[in-house]
Amino acid sequence: MLIPRKVRHRKQHHPKRGGAAKGGTRVTFGEFGIQALTPAYVTNRQIESARIAINRHIRRGGKVWINIFPDRPLTKKPAETRMGSGKGSPEHWIANVKPGRVMFELSFPNEAVAREALTRAIHKLPMKCRIVTREGGDF
Amino acid sequence: MSEVRLAAEPRTQFGKGAARRTRRDGKIPAVLYGHGSDPKHLALPAIEFARVVRENGQNAILRLDIDNKSELALTKTVTTHPIKNYIEHVDLLLVQRGEKVTVDVPVVLTGEAQPGTLITQDATVLSVEVEALHIPEQFEVSVQDVEAGTQILASDVTLPPGSELLTDPETLIVAVNQAPTAEDMEAGVDVPEGTEPPAPAVEDEAEGQSES
Repeated sequence: MLIPRKVRHRKQHHPKRGGAAKGGTRVTFGEFGIQALTPAYVTNRQIESARIAINRHIRRGGKVWINIFPDRPLTKKPAETRMGSGKGSPEHWIANVKPGRVMFELSFPNEAVAREALTRAIHKLPMKCRIVTREGGDF
Repeated sequence: MSEVRLAAEPRTQFGKGAARRTRRDGKIPAVLYGHGSDPKHLALPAIEFARVVRENGQNAILRLDIDNKSELALTKTVTTHPIKNYIEHVDLLLVQRGEKVTVDVPVVLTGEAQPGTLITQDATVLSVEVEALHIPEQFEVSVQDVEAGTQILASDVTLPPGSELLTDPETLIVAVNQAPTAEDMEAGVDVPEGTEPPAPAVEDEAEGQSES
């Protein structure tokens, strides 16, 4: 599972969720990609789950790129705890994904299989997504 | 590449409000500059310009009709909306007949490699210096029956006469590798599936302690 090797601060504020992606909005490595359409915090577990869903479907002969990294800690207080007494303990590692960001890319010779694999991965992700292609960048 | 004629209107109002009004009228805000001249603010017809980019690529040479004057221009940058995929703004560069320009030409793979191989295209464009009116639409690289372990470099691409490669000749364009097995695909990124990864080290230990 993806996790930072070293962090400056163990607990951070929640990252901003507004706005659209400034970069990484096109398919650059593979032929197909998953593009986020709404903002979301994507946890390392969701990224790993989506990656496994793609790999289990394409079996072999393809390559997957993960363009996001869960570099922000998200804290959580224990259940049934009164407010106060400081910030909760780190619970998740998340990537702050803005709309337009291409999160996963896939190179696979069969388009139908590639689309099905990415559809299965989309089901593991917490936001609305769509499948984009490298050629689909045209207007 | 042939010239494409396009009617452009000068813009007199600027800023995001005026730019949005321009887009609502079915036009694209654009700016034309180069050769030390003052920049000209233009509005291009959105549908026609999108068709030109779609059919001729981003390196199409445009013959712009502005106030009964004609100017040759090359598209330098096309800014698009990250989700809706429409063109928001265009930067155009003035060019002259016979002038050499630096452009990024797309590299397109043709053919089918041998079965059991995985083709990875590392570079999708090559930067070349070429005469403005003779920009190639694309470079074709054949991967027909290429064996696993083959690497095609930028220097292996055949350029048209009169053009010079600006990209590093050692740049990898295509790598043909053995396709990964099902076991390779199942392997985790860092930690095997089901195990919890160790917590990352805190750089500022004192601050990390005081926060918790």
